[in-house]
Amino acid sequence: MTHAERHRLLVEALAAAIRPVRPLWPVRARLGLWLLLEALVLLWVAAHTGNDFVRKLGHPDYALEVILFAAAATLAAMLALRLAIPGRRAGPRELALSIVLVLIGTALVLAGEPIRTGYPLGEFLHVGIGCALQTCILAALPWMALWWAVKRGAPMRGAAAGLSTGAAALLFAFALMRIGCPIDEPLHVLTWHLLPALVLTALSGLAGTAWLRFRPRGQRL
Amino acid sequence: MTNGSAAGMKKVDDARRLERSRMRAHLMERLQQGDADACRLLLDNVGPAVTRFLRGRVASDEVEDVYQEIFMALFQARHTYEAGRPLEPWLFAIARNVAADHSRRRWARASWEELTPDLPERAAGDSPAAPPDIEGLLSRLPAAQREAFAMLKLDGMTLEAAAGRAGVSVGALKVRAHRAYKALRKLIGGEGDGG
Repeated sequence: MTHAERHRLLVEALAAAIRPVRPLWPVRARLGLWLLLEALVLLWVAAHTGNDFVRKLGHPDYALEVILFAAAATLAAMLALRLAIPGRRAGPRELALSIVLVLIGTALVLAGEPIRTGYPLGEFLHVGIGCALQTCILAALPWMALWWAVKRGAPMRGAAAGLSTGAAALLFAFALMRIGCPIDEPLHVLTWHLLPALVLTALSGLAGTAWLRFRPRGQRL
Repeated sequence: MTNGSAAGMKKVDDARRLERSRMRAHLMERLQQGDADACRLLLDNVGPAVTRFLRGRVASDEVEDVYQEIFMALFQARHTYEAGRPLEPWLFAIARNVAADHSRRRWARASWEELTPDLPERAAGDSPAAPPDIEGLLSRLPAAQREAFAMLKLDGMTLEAAAGRAGVSVGALKVRAHRAYKALRKLIGGEGDGG
């Protein structure tokens, strides 16, 4: 069979199988919906925390720290949604900007209070593990929602899409934990808030490699 | 050739390219709406570009396989095309992805064959890298359906002429063709797509 004949057969088979599809919503619309979900989680955290975050937000360093992490998360979510569309690339500028925001935010955490090393280990672990779990819980729903949104597209780079998805959900969870957790001590924040977020982001990247990358289904003609 | 005429030709070339790109984008939008004619026109239009893209990227004896895979991938990812944007970056991102996947599979297969010179016989069709079998797919359809599909879609016959040749009523031929499309759709895996 010649190339032209095979092409004809392929085209006719595809034309015979065609039916209307609903195109993906624009990235901005999907990002807006995701931010709405994060806003709902934020409301829930604000309603259930014993942390006096309203007073703390009066301190520019604290407010800036929360804003920087939320902004980095928003950028990561935008990159993830873009990566779901073939031919749309993650902009290196946006990627660099989100990394810079996280680094500045981390520097602000370190500069906020002196590091306290004299914790009893049991207390450090007991309080910390609870915070790490809360970080995971706060990230779970937004992560699933964003993963689903990315998976509905056709990500060509699974690892990058997975990393961006994880970074978006977990950096936002970090920002939410700064609002929800009354402890501002840097060692606690970095060990039990930021470290789990980074580890889970890496795992999300691995999961993306395995399950997020677009692979055409079905069999060839 | 003067610089002026070269610049003029480039302008004409750019204008043609732009026009072609607009036409493809328009056809893609119609394809998303389920227009089979737009599907045919678009795939016929991009076919040569895809072939050119593959030459030099995959071994010449494998171009046909990858070409098919690319078309299937384009079809399955059609809901991800954003209306109003040029089609080509979307199209070639998918083509690049499929070609890269193919190269990876080929490399893995070659490494495995090096390690196991006496490979056990593999059941046909149980690997994603199995050679394509166009005739095989059609042969899996019942004879009546295969005949109906071939007459209507490959030979371009009218319903009446095809029904006359098959010796059945137009309605019966329509039913056969519909069943053939349904079976093909299932095999292609086009179900479950959606924005």
